[in-house]
Parts: sequence; C-alpha cells; structure tokens
Amino acid sequence: MADPDGLLRERARRAYEMGRLGAALRNGLLLLPAVGIALVCCSNPGPTLISGAGLVLLVGFCQWRGRDYRRGIRPGLVAGFVPLLLPILAQATGHVCASGGCLLFPAVCGVGGLLGGITLGMVAPRPRDGRGIPFVTSCLIAGLAGSVGCLLYGLVGLGVMFVGLLAGATPVLAARRA
Amino acid sequence: MDRATLSELQTLMERLADGDRSAFHPVFAVLWPLLRRFAARHLRPEEAEDTAQEALVKIFFRAGEFDPSRNALAWALGIAAFEIKTLRRRRLRRREDAVREGPFERLRDQAPTPEEEAMARDSERMLQEALGALPPEDAETLRLYARGERPSLAAATFRKRVERALTRLRSVWRTTDGRP
Repeated sequence: MADPDGLLRERARRAYEMGRLGAALRNGLLLLPAVGIALVCCSNPGPTLISGAGLVLLVGFCQWRGRDYRRGIRPGLVAGFVPLLLPILAQATGHVCASGGCLLFPAVCGVGGLLGGITLGMVAPRPRDGRGIPFVTSCLIAGLAGSVGCLLYGLVGLGVMFVGLLAGATPVLAARRA
Repeated sequence: MDRATLSELQTLMERLADGDRSAFHPVFAVLWPLLRRFAARHLRPEEAEDTAQEALVKIFFRAGEFDPSRNALAWALGIAAFEIKTLRRRRLRRREDAVREGPFERLRDQAPTPEEEAMARDSERMLQEALGALPPEDAETLRLYARGERPSLAAATFRKRVERALTRLRSVWRTTDGRP
C-alpha cells in the first residue's frame, strides 16, 4: 500500500516545480516586447525569431532552475540589452545606404558589443570555487540578447557584435581578477 | 513551535524560494504536522486533513514567490487560513442550497398563499371588466374559445374571430391596466 505522506510529498513536489515553471515563463515573457520590436524592424525575421525564442527559453530555464542559474540572468540582460537596443535605435533614425556599402550598422553592432562587453565584465558574477554557472549563464544571455538586435544586419552584424563583446569584457574581467 | 525551528523554517523557505531543491524535504517535514494541527483546530476532523493537504500543496506551488523579507511561518499560515476560510464559505453555501432544495422546501404547503390568492382575484376581476368592455359577440367568442368549444362555423372563420377578439381584448386590457 502506498504511503499517504509519500503521495502527498510527491504532489507537493510537483506543485513546487509547476509553480516555479509558471513564474519562470511569466518572467521570460517579459522579454517579448524587446524581441517583438527587433522582429518588426528586421527584413528577415527568421534568425531573429530563433535567437529571440532562444533567449526567452534560456531566461525561463534559468529562472526555473534557480540558484546559480538565476544569478546570471540580471547581469546577462543588463549587458545584452546594449547591443540589442543600439541597432534598433540606429534603424529608427532612418539611415539609408546602398546595399553592401554601409559601414554604419556593423559599426553600431561593434560599439553595442563593446559597451555590452564592458558592462558584462563589470557586472557578471565572478567564477569562484569552481562554480562558473552564473558567469556562463550571464555570458550566454548577453550574447543571445545582443544577437536579437544585431541579427538585423545579418551575420556580419552578429560577428562584429561578438568580437566587440569579447573585446569589451576580457580586459575588464582581467582587471577585476587582478 | 520553538525559536530554533522558526528560524530554521525561515532559512529553509528562503533556500526553497531560491531554487534549492534540497530544502524541499526539510520544509515538508516542518510544515506538514504544523498545518495538520492548524487545520484541526479550526475545522471538523474529516475536513481538516483534506484542507491541510490543499494548503500544503498551495504553499509549495507558491514557494518560488516567497519573499525572504517576510516571516515564513506567518506566510504559510496565511495561505492555510485562506484555505480554511474558503472551505467554510463553501460549506455555508452548500448548507444554504440544501435548505433551498432539501426536505424543508418539500414540507412547505403547496396551496397558494393569501397574497397569491389576492393577486389571482385581482387578475380575474380585471379580465371580467375587460371582457365586459368588449362587444358581446367578441366576449362570447373568447368564452367559447377558453372552454374549448366551437360554434357551428368553419374552423378558419372561428380562428379569425378569436384573433380579432384577442386583439380588442389586449387593447382594452392596456387601457384599463393603465399602460400605454
């Protein structure tokens, strides 16, 4: 015969996980406006949609998992929103140039990545005692959030943004470690 | 509950809210007996167990939203108290429904009340007055129709006369009833 306390324990455990999942999804959905604006601005929504969905799912997962995973969400989003919003703002200024001849938009992604990298270097949790999860999740979230904005300019924008992110974060992280 | 257990519950709830699954079993072990006692103090024994279970499941469902600045025990008992209140309200509503549909309602005298009788008498008097105001042949047609009889006329003709008489009766009724 099943232990009634055991059954209740299982029910309570399921309720706990479901409650966390619901809250995580609600929090993840808060990112939808930013992803939606990026989707409205771009001419090729496929890649932006994929990276936007990836960002929402990753933030939702980290929120649900909690603890070290959750600690990386805020720094990642703070750093990632710079390269996410800068290209959208640049697009909104209405700059027009001949196809393939524009250097402004990749430069915007590079600057966004650089600023985001510096921010990431300053706010990312430092890996301590072999626990690098918060650092890794914050980097992943920053990268995904930045890619949602920079994919507006295709793979060039994305590549330049990642180079900027790396170039911005590395010296700051090294200085923090020293 | 002693101070040490209270402080332990607070720490455990904070860990659980943060996502530390290892705090689940200790929180369960502290809360379950506590909620059972709390429900037993406020409800009948057959209801207390179920309500305590529901409260416990709700507490764990909302554990992720627990604010560490709040008192864990007060928070948990608040959820349990709401559950108890809900059950009592449901019980009260069930009791009211039972009274409305139960044996007492069947015991009620099926005869019309004095008020219903007075209203019926009023309606009858008003109908007789309206019939009296109609031309005699219309009043006769309606009386025959009400009794289910038909004079030696074609059915379609009688139906036409009934319709005409009813239209006139409606018009008279509106006038005597004081409606436009």
